[in-house]
Amino acid sequence: MSQDRDVVIVDGTRTPFAKAGTKLKEIHPSELGRVALKELLDRTNIDGQLVDEVIIGNVGNPSDAVNISRVIALRAGLPLGVSAHSVHRNCASAMESIAEGFDKIKAGSADVVVAGGTESMSTYPLMMGDAFVKNFERLSTARSLGQQLGALGGLLRSDLKQVVDLMTTGPMQSTPFKPRIAVVEGLTDPFVGINMGQTAEILAKEFNITRQEQDAFALRSHQLAVAAQKSKRLSEEITPVFLPPKYKEFVAEDVGPRAEQTMEQLAKLKPFFDRQYGSITVGNACPITDGAAMVLMMSRAKAKELGYKPIVSVRSYAFAGLQPERMGLGPVYASPKALKRAGLSLKDMGLIELNEAFAAQVLACVKAAGSREFAKEKLGLDQALGEIDLDKLNVNGGAIALGHPVGATGTRLVLTLMREMQKRNVEFGLATLCIGGGQGGAVVLQREA
Amino acid sequence: MSIQESIRIVGKGDVALVEWDLIGEKVNKLSSPVMARFREVINEIKTSSYKAVVLISRKPKIFIAGADIDEIKKITDPGDCRKLLDQAHEILNELEDLSIPTIAAINGACLGGGCEMVMCCDYRIASDAKETKIGLPEVKLGIFPGFGGCIRMPRLVGLQASLDIILAGKAVDGRKAVKLGLVDECVPQQQLEERAIKFANEIVASNKGKRKKRFKPRSVLEKFLESPVGRPVVFSQAKKTVLSQTKGFYPAPIKALEVIQKTYGSGNRQKALGVEMEAFCQVAVSEISKHLINLFFMMEDIKKQTGVADPQVNARPVKHMAVLGAGTMGGGIALLAADNGIKVRMKDITNEALALGYKAAADVWLKDLKRRKIAKHDFERKMSLISGGMDFAGFGNADLVVEAIVEDMEIKKKVIAETAKHCPEHCLIATNTSSLSVTEMAKAHPRPENFLGMHFFNPVHKMPLVEVIRGPQTSDEAVATVFEASKKMGKIPVVVKDGPGFLVNRLLLPYMIEAMFLLEEGMDIQTVDRWYTHKFGMPMGPFRLMDEVGLDVCVKVVKVFKKSLGERIQVPSVAEKFAGSGRLGKKNSRGFYLYDDKGKELSVDQTVYKDLGVGSPTNKLSEKECLERGIFTMINEAALALLEERIAERPEEVDLAMIMGTGFPPFRGGLLRYADSLGSQYIASELEIYAARCGQRLKPSQPLANMAKTNRKFYP
Repeated sequence: MSQDRDVVIVDGTRTPFAKAGTKLKEIHPSELGRVALKELLDRTNIDGQLVDEVIIGNVGNPSDAVNISRVIALRAGLPLGVSAHSVHRNCASAMESIAEGFDKIKAGSADVVVAGGTESMSTYPLMMGDAFVKNFERLSTARSLGQQLGALGGLLRSDLKQVVDLMTTGPMQSTPFKPRIAVVEGLTDPFVGINMGQTAEILAKEFNITRQEQDAFALRSHQLAVAAQKSKRLSEEITPVFLPPKYKEFVAEDVGPRAEQTMEQLAKLKPFFDRQYGSITVGNACPITDGAAMVLMMSRAKAKELGYKPIVSVRSYAFAGLQPERMGLGPVYASPKALKRAGLSLKDMGLIELNEAFAAQVLACVKAAGSREFAKEKLGLDQALGEIDLDKLNVNGGAIALGHPVGATGTRLVLTLMREMQKRNVEFGLATLCIGGGQGGAVVLQREA
Repeated sequence: MSIQESIRIVGKGDVALVEWDLIGEKVNKLSSPVMARFREVINEIKTSSYKAVVLISRKPKIFIAGADIDEIKKITDPGDCRKLLDQAHEILNELEDLSIPTIAAINGACLGGGCEMVMCCDYRIASDAKETKIGLPEVKLGIFPGFGGCIRMPRLVGLQASLDIILAGKAVDGRKAVKLGLVDECVPQQQLEERAIKFANEIVASNKGKRKKRFKPRSVLEKFLESPVGRPVVFSQAKKTVLSQTKGFYPAPIKALEVIQKTYGSGNRQKALGVEMEAFCQVAVSEISKHLINLFFMMEDIKKQTGVADPQVNARPVKHMAVLGAGTMGGGIALLAADNGIKVRMKDITNEALALGYKAAADVWLKDLKRRKIAKHDFERKMSLISGGMDFAGFGNADLVVEAIVEDMEIKKKVIAETAKHCPEHCLIATNTSSLSVTEMAKAHPRPENFLGMHFFNPVHKMPLVEVIRGPQTSDEAVATVFEASKKMGKIPVVVKDGPGFLVNRLLLPYMIEAMFLLEEGMDIQTVDRWYTHKFGMPMGPFRLMDEVGLDVCVKVVKVFKKSLGERIQVPSVAEKFAGSGRLGKKNSRGFYLYDDKGKELSVDQTVYKDLGVGSPTNKLSEKECLERGIFTMINEAALALLEERIAERPEEVDLAMIMGTGFPPFRGGLLRYADSLGSQYIASELEIYAARCGQRLKPSQPLANMAKTNRKFYP
C-alpha cells in the first residue's frame, strides 16, 4: 500500500560515460557532476530551495574539491543554504548515496534529496614516489647550505634511480623511486594485497568459467549497448557534456561500446593480470571510465504536493560483506538481503542490472545465484537465490561496453533500470553490484509510471 | 540645506577629522558653495591647535565623486571659467599649504576634482573596498583635470602613469594606487578611519610633518623615460596613441598633453596652474564638451528611469532567463545574462548549435581570464550559469525568454506559441527580431501583455544599446521588467514603438541604401568609408557596416522596408546583385571588403565593382555631398519617426539610441543635436537639391519640411 513516506525517484540523468583517456579526460569530476545535476534541476524545474540534501558518491576524492558534493551543488546553482555531503563506498559510492537518501526520506529527516555520483578516473593523480617525498621534506627543513646541497643531491640521486627503475621494472611494479599511480593503488585491495583483476581470476578459476564464455559475454555487452545507442534508448538518459574551456566540442554518447567488436578480436587479447594461466583480458573486463549520474528522490507525499509523477519507488536496499579476494560475488550476498526487506524474491524481478566489473565475475554470480549449495554454505539460506534469466540481465549492455566510473556506477544502474522498467512496463527491478574490498550492494525498485 | 553641516570638523585629540557628507545629496561633489564651505573649514583649522588633519567621507560608497558637472555644463564664457577655477585653485593651494600634515582617508569613488583634492594632501590612505576608485575621468566629458590635476598627478606618480590616468580617463583601485605611489597605504575598509587617525598621530609624534612627495623612478627604463632625453619620446608616443584612438575628433586629451608638456618639472606652482587654466577654459566652453556632458546626463537619466510613465509600476525580478536559438545572438545574450549573475538556459535544435552558444560566451571570458581580469574559478562559475538543451527543460523556471531564432515570421510565431506553453504564467517572452513586426508576432502569444521586443545589437557584449519594443498590448510591467533587466545586464535601454526596423535600423537603412547609390554613381568604397570615419567620425563607414550586418540580411530588410514604407525606399540595383556574386559580408569573408579567417578586414575587394555591374570608380561626387546624403537621409527619416510616428518620444532617445546602437560620433551630440547645429532649413534645402538630381527618396519628409519653414529645432 502506498504511503506518504515511500521513497520515489522522479527523474534522473547522467553524462556520457567515456573510457578514461578519451574525450572527457581533462574534465574535472566536479564539472561532470555539475553538468548532470544542472540538467536534472533544469529538467525537473525544481525550486532549489526545496532540496534538503545533496549526496554524491565519489571514490578518487580530488584534492582540489574535497567535499565534491558541495562543489557540485553550488556550481549547479543550488542555493547556498542547501547542505551537501560526499559519500564513499568504493564501487558502490553512488548506490550508497541513493541508500542514504532512502534512509533520510524514510526517517522524515529529508523530503527532497539529490543523490548521485561522479568520477574522473582519467584525472587520478600520479603521486611522488616515497623516496622523493623524503628528499623534498629534507629540502624544506634544510637550514645550512650544506644541508640544502645534501638534500638536492638526494633528489638528483632519486631522479637517476627513477630512470633506472622505469627501464628495468614492469609498468605495474612499484618501487620507492617510481611515481605512485593512484588508479593502480585504488584498484588494489590493501587487505589481501591483490588487485581487482586478480580477484576476478580467482572466480573464473573457482567457477570454471572459460575464456570463451567470458569473451562471449563481453561481446553480448557491446552488442546490446550498440543496439541501445542506435534505438536512442541510451541517449534519453544522457545529457551531453560540452567541453570546457573552449567549448568547441561536445560528447553526447558513451565512448566505449564497439559496433565492430568480434569474438576473434577478443580472442587475440593477452590475459592482463595472470599472463600465464589467466583468462581475464582488457576485452572482457570493464574499462576505467569518466562520468557522472544524478537522480532526484522525494517522499511520495512531497512528490504529490509538488505535482511530480514518480518513475519508480525504492522498495529496499542492502549491503553485505564477504572475502575481499572474492569481492565479485558481492551481488549474490547483498541481493537476498535487499529482496527479503522488500518482501520479494528474485523471480519477481522483471529486469536486473548487475554491474559488469568483469565478465567472469558476472558469470560467477549467475552460477552462484543458481546454486543451492552456495546458498546453503555461503549465504546461510535453504534455497538458491534463483536463476538469473539472461534475457532480463543488463538489457542495454553493461560496464564492459559502457564503462565503470567507480563513483558514478551505482546511480547509473538505478537510472538505466528505472527507465527500462518504465519502457517495458515491468513491475519490479533489481540493481546490484560488487564492491572492491569485498562487499555487495543491491537496490530493489518498483515501477510507478 | 545647511552647508555648514555638509563638511564638519570632529576633534579626535590632536587630529581634526574633517567629515564630508553633503546634506541632501547622494554623493559628495565640489560645487562652488561646497568649496566655499571647505575654505571656512581650512581657515578654522588654521586658527585651531590641531596638529594634523584627516579628510574622510561619510557617504558609504563615495569619497568625492568630482566637481559639480552641472556647473561645468553652464560655463559658456572663458572669463567665468577663469573665475571659477581661480577660486578653486586658491582653496586647494591653501589646503596644500596648511602648516600641519594632511591625510586623505579614501573610501569609495575619489574621482576628478576629488582626486585632485587628495593630491593636495601630504599623505593618502585608501580602503581596499571594490568601490574605491581613484582617478581623473575628465576627458570622458570633453575636458581634462582643471583643479591642478595635470600638474600634481605627474609629480606624484611620474610621467608615464599619469598620462595613462589623465589621457585615458582611468581610475585605479586602492591596491593599484599603492603600486603607482598615488596613495601610501591600502587598508581594510573597516579599519580606514582608525588607521588614518593612528597614522596622523604617528606623523605628529615622529615630527615628520609636511612632505612634498615626488615620483622617484625606480628602474633604469623609468629613469630614462623621466630624463630630458626620454620625456620627448613619452610625449610623442602618447600623442600618437591619443590621435589613433580619437582620430583627432577629441581635442581635450591633446590639450592636456600640451599642458603637461609645458608644466612638467616646473617649480612655479602659480605659473603651472595658469597654463592649465588657460587651456582648460578653451575646452570647457567647447561644443564637444557640452555634447559629452549632455550624453553623460542622458545616461544618468536612464539609471533613474523605469521605462514606463506610471511610477506605481515595478519591474519584476529576472533571476532565470532562457534563450531560444544559441547562435551568435543567443550565445551573446546568454553571456550577458550570466555575466550579471542571471541563470540562463539556451535552446536550439542541435548540439552543434548549442556548442556555438557556449563558445560565444567562453571566448569572451577566456580573454578576460588570459588578461587576468577574472580568475579560473570565476570563469567556471560564469560558465556554470549557462546550460542548454534541445527541449524546453529549464523553461519552467524562466522569468524572461528571449527569442533569437531565424528571422521568419511563421516559424517565430509557431515557436512563441509553443514556448508559452512551457513557461510559467508570469514569464515574459521577448523577441530579438531586427526587422519583423512585434505586433504581428504578439498574436501568437496566448498572453500578449507578456510579449514585447528586446533588440540587442551585434556583437551583443560590445554594443551598449537595447531597444525595448512595446507592442500595442504589452503591459507596463513587462516593459519595466525588460527595461530593468537590460540595465542589470549593463545595457542602455531605450523604449520604442513597433514599426519597421524600430528606431535604429529604421534610420540606418536609408543611410546604407544611400551608400549603395553612391557606389552606383561611381564612388569608390574605400573613399566613402574613409570620409565617414575620418571626416565625420563614424566608427565604420556604411560599406563596412553592411558587411558587418550581412549583405543578405541588408537586402532582405530593404525589401521588408520597401513593403511598409513605400516610395521613400528605393532599391538600388546593386542590392539585387549581391546574391549572384556570392557575397554575404563578413560572415563568409567576402563582401565589399575581404576578410581573413579571423574576421579581420583586409582590403576592399576590387572585383566587387565589376560583380555588381558598376564599372570602375570615377569619384565624381564631393565629400560634402557623400556625407550629407547619408547623414541627412537619416535626419529626414528621424523627423518622420520621431515627430509623426512617435516611434520614440523625445529627441534625447533618438540621440542616445544612435550613439549607443550605431556609434554615431558622441562628440557631435547625436544625430538630432547635429541636425540642430546645422538647422532644419539648411538640411531640407540640401535634400531638395539632392532629391531633384538623385531621386524622390531624398525629398524632405513632411515633418522636416514643416520644421524648415521656421528653421525649428528638434530640441526645444
